[in-house]
Amino acid sequence: MKTSIPTSSSAISEFKAGLLEELPLQAGVLPFGMVYGILGIESGMSALETFMLSSLLFAGASQIVFTQLVSAATPALIIITSIAAINARHMLYATSMHRYIGHLPLGWRIVLAYLLTDEAYAVSIKRYVNAPHNRYMHYHLLGSGLLLFIVWQCSTLAGIVLGTAIPKELALGFAIPLSFMAIVIPLLTSKPQIITALSAAVIALSCQSLPWNSWLIVSAIGGIAAGMMADRWSGDRT
Amino acid sequence: MIWVIIICCGLATFAARFLPLSGILPAELPKPAQQAMKFVPVAVLVPIILSGIFVSADSQIELVGNMRIYAALIAGVVAVKTRNVIFTIITGLVCLWALEFLF
Repeated sequence: MKTSIPTSSSAISEFKAGLLEELPLQAGVLPFGMVYGILGIESGMSALETFMLSSLLFAGASQIVFTQLVSAATPALIIITSIAAINARHMLYATSMHRYIGHLPLGWRIVLAYLLTDEAYAVSIKRYVNAPHNRYMHYHLLGSGLLLFIVWQCSTLAGIVLGTAIPKELALGFAIPLSFMAIVIPLLTSKPQIITALSAAVIALSCQSLPWNSWLIVSAIGGIAAGMMADRWSGDRT
Repeated sequence: MIWVIIICCGLATFAARFLPLSGILPAELPKPAQQAMKFVPVAVLVPIILSGIFVSADSQIELVGNMRIYAALIAGVVAVKTRNVIFTIITGLVCLWALEFLF
């Protein structure tokens, strides 16, 4: 895979490729960000808090969970633990990116780590694995990450502005489980993943009466444990 | 107080993204950690999905007359067929509105 540097490739063309390959995913990001902005306001957070969460966390699914936990008056420690658990998957992304961007100066690594979201990772790792390497290829992740960042902030802002105008009867909060369904269903391709889903489901529904919304963290840990056991027993590697 | 929570959550999220690139951690995560993380998205999202469908605003499990269940089933079929987030959201919401209007 590793070949010499093609003459046409430069920082700008890598950056552009990252932007362009990230672009189609924005069709899903845009409504998601707006729903987040609307829910943030509905949960009782201020416009500034809702907006800043999008830049300080910059992780959609966890921001939505954040609004729900805040509106249910969940204790701080449970919120932080839940968010840390949801976002732990980013360690996997950063680990697999290490061989492509791990050599960069600290400033670059901080910026690219900040921009390392699900969607930017998905697009840029494909380029790193499939296309010839060159010394400017970190600009690809900069392009995909930056586009996602801009669209996410703008759609959050749009949601915040719309938030007060949208009637509660439309039940837009229902868009959250729906969008997560579309994310989860394609992941259920192996027995251990299905066992994870079933275990987490049973625990989540039976632990609803636990205090402080701890059903979320309890069912996540239970689901992960069940998946790991299933993995070990079936020897099924996915 | 909420700002303290926001900043702590932000730091935890950035740490997850940066630590493997920091040079502090070994370049490879330990095997069990890698394995566990494979299950994180499903283990976290499935409970959120179910509570969004089955649990009412006053945190009771709602089975009778809960139109979200039927709307989610139809949207689930769309999710399986199209694997498209927007189609799934639109189907689910429109079904919910229609069902609540009809029943």
